[in-house]
Amino acid sequence: MELTQSDELAAVAELARGLGLDKLSPAARSAEAAGQVDDAVWQALTGSGLTTVARTEHGGDGVIDAVTHMVAAEHLAYGDPGIALAALWSGAAALLLSEHGTTTQAGHARRLCSDASARGALAMYEAFGRGPDEWTTSITTDGSRLTVRGSKVAVPFAAAADVLVVIGTDPSTGILRAAVVPGGDTGVTLDPAYGSIGLGVAQSRGVGFDVSLPADAALGGDSSDPVALALSVERIRLLVGAAAVGTAQRALDYAAEYAQQRVAFGRAIAGFQGVSFLLADKQMQVEAARLEVTEAAASIDLGRKGADDVRSLRHAVREAVNYATETAAMTTRDALQVLGGHGFLDDHPVELWYRSAAALAAVDFDPLCSAFAPAV
Amino acid sequence: MSLSFQLSDELTDYGRKLRDWSVHEARPLAREADDRHALPDGWSKVLDSCPVGVGRTDVPDAEPIPAFPDGEKVTMLVYYENLNYGDPWVMTAIGGGIGHLPVKKIGTPAQIEKWYTPVITSGLTTGFALTEPQCGSDTSRIETTAMRDGDSWVLNGSKIFCSGGARAEYITVFATTDKSAGPRGIAVFVVPKDTPGLIIVKPNESKLGIRSQLTSELRFENCVIPVENRLGWTAAGPAENGSGVSGQAGALSALADNRPNVAAWAIGSAQASLDVARERLVERRAGFTGRRWELVETELGRMNSALDRGRRLNLKAQYLVDQGTPSRVAAAIAKGFSPQTCERVVLRCMQLLGPEGTSKQLLLEKWYRDIKIIDIFEGTGQIQRLLVARQLMGRAVG
Repeated sequence: MELTQSDELAAVAELARGLGLDKLSPAARSAEAAGQVDDAVWQALTGSGLTTVARTEHGGDGVIDAVTHMVAAEHLAYGDPGIALAALWSGAAALLLSEHGTTTQAGHARRLCSDASARGALAMYEAFGRGPDEWTTSITTDGSRLTVRGSKVAVPFAAAADVLVVIGTDPSTGILRAAVVPGGDTGVTLDPAYGSIGLGVAQSRGVGFDVSLPADAALGGDSSDPVALALSVERIRLLVGAAAVGTAQRALDYAAEYAQQRVAFGRAIAGFQGVSFLLADKQMQVEAARLEVTEAAASIDLGRKGADDVRSLRHAVREAVNYATETAAMTTRDALQVLGGHGFLDDHPVELWYRSAAALAAVDFDPLCSAFAPAV
Repeated sequence: MSLSFQLSDELTDYGRKLRDWSVHEARPLAREADDRHALPDGWSKVLDSCPVGVGRTDVPDAEPIPAFPDGEKVTMLVYYENLNYGDPWVMTAIGGGIGHLPVKKIGTPAQIEKWYTPVITSGLTTGFALTEPQCGSDTSRIETTAMRDGDSWVLNGSKIFCSGGARAEYITVFATTDKSAGPRGIAVFVVPKDTPGLIIVKPNESKLGIRSQLTSELRFENCVIPVENRLGWTAAGPAENGSGVSGQAGALSALADNRPNVAAWAIGSAQASLDVARERLVERRAGFTGRRWELVETELGRMNSALDRGRRLNLKAQYLVDQGTPSRVAAAIAKGFSPQTCERVVLRCMQLLGPEGTSKQLLLEKWYRDIKIIDIFEGTGQIQRLLVARQLMGRAVG
């Protein structure tokens, strides 16, 4: 049992919180309006080594562990979930290239760490409540060719990235694989850029794959470790849960501050249990979500055991992500409610968090994890 | 003896026609209304194409909402749900505002003739200015002042969320004539457009949803209006044949009757989300595992039942009004019950669809933003709970 943050972890939390509040939060509105993150902000994020996690001579001495990664994600999302996730997802591609790629592939990762204009894309989610063991995108090797076929959703920087990592399974073995697809490949079809209720700066699109590549496009070449890859995939999925926790906590803190200032019926509205209990309930849920994400991350760090462990870990990540994202949707909702009409105006940032949380809640949703519950 | 929730065939048919029209004619312009923060181009022509009377106030002699045997208020529920089923922009185009409602409620016969009747017969937009930056639910904290100066009232203060403000023919403004009198000092004044001292600070506030609904931020700087522009007054002072209802209480009671109507709007948007989601999900059924598909069907069924519960509460509240026995608590139950559940229905539909559900390819994400206001305006969910709790436990409720 160890629930006390080490000095190193506390320092990461402080660094990420500072970046979130000083850089991400002030840039949130302009980034959303522009549909992209400003270069200076992006550089600050990649330079911190908290988002673009790769072994690189530029980004420190190696890859941070999953617990640290989640702490960083939570506190960056506390600043702004849209910018945080854009950088975390781009960084996730770097993580895969660096941890599982060949020397050439790891070179792409180094560029993602050092070049502020570079974006990584990761095609992973498939909707329908499917988890990694149910993803139907196939990656098969036939002699000297590697074939990728399937449809992915919520692929960040699908159009902007010059390197795209796609996760799928080998249908003959059911084992998770990944491929590195060059940008602009003719077999890659992008859905139109519809835009979204939130998280727009990640420029996510649906992507169809019907691609034939040289065999060395397989991530890691012929020496890939499927269990290690599965653990990395779970870590990347968990980032959404961690970001949801940060989003919810920020909205909660903002509404709590407002409730102490706003006077109605002769006192601060925090003096009414209809307001204070509303937020207290949500603080309980946020803390539960935070610990659930933390324990799942700790299990990932213990990893490298075997297929059974991956199965139980997958379950833990699925539950943690779904609980944390629903908590974020409900918490940002109640925070907006506490601000009343002011919450409905973009003079306050709560409506932005409300929209971001809705987008988070749909990315990796699985109906097996929770049932529809009427409010009354 | 039996009871029945059955609507007449005529009203059911009216609702169906309204729904078909709102889906086919109004919905295609929904994205434009949201993007522009204004009514879509050609909105008036779209309204012209409506096959049934909807009581437009933007044109003279428009066909009114027909009278049905079910009662006027019950009819309004069918109207609100089906009109909004297409998309809420169309309601913001039809509704000429609510500024004329307090006139009808507490105005003198002469004031009703001057300010209410023309809205109904000729079609005019009216503004309603109650909320201020520092007060929403607690209207007794209104700081806008109205000071008597000879034959005039002089208004000073700020208002936000003034519906229709920037294009209204006149605005009904809540202001205090005597701060020491608390709620009893609040009166309602009619301020015609272009009155010197009426300043439109922001013509349309930047909102999360219902962006085509014009809401304005206003400031009054020594805004002078005649004495008889105070509702319930003549040039000689308080009218003898006035309603006798105080300004604040009377004008706000005009809103209470509307509470089930906005709950019906929430249900309209939630039902639209459910129907859009169901159609898409059925198309994509093959993508789900058997176990998940079973859950999807269960969820859709549960959401439908939740909406039906809200419909019954709305019907009961408005039925009571039509019977001449309105219940403030029944209206509070109706408005307290549905809006938040409707938000959850739309959210769940988006989740079931995955990232497609939150994308702007569909309108669910818009409806999720639009209907958030319903649990806030016209009495927040918290205020409705207070009303219900007070019926149970009296003034002991804090």
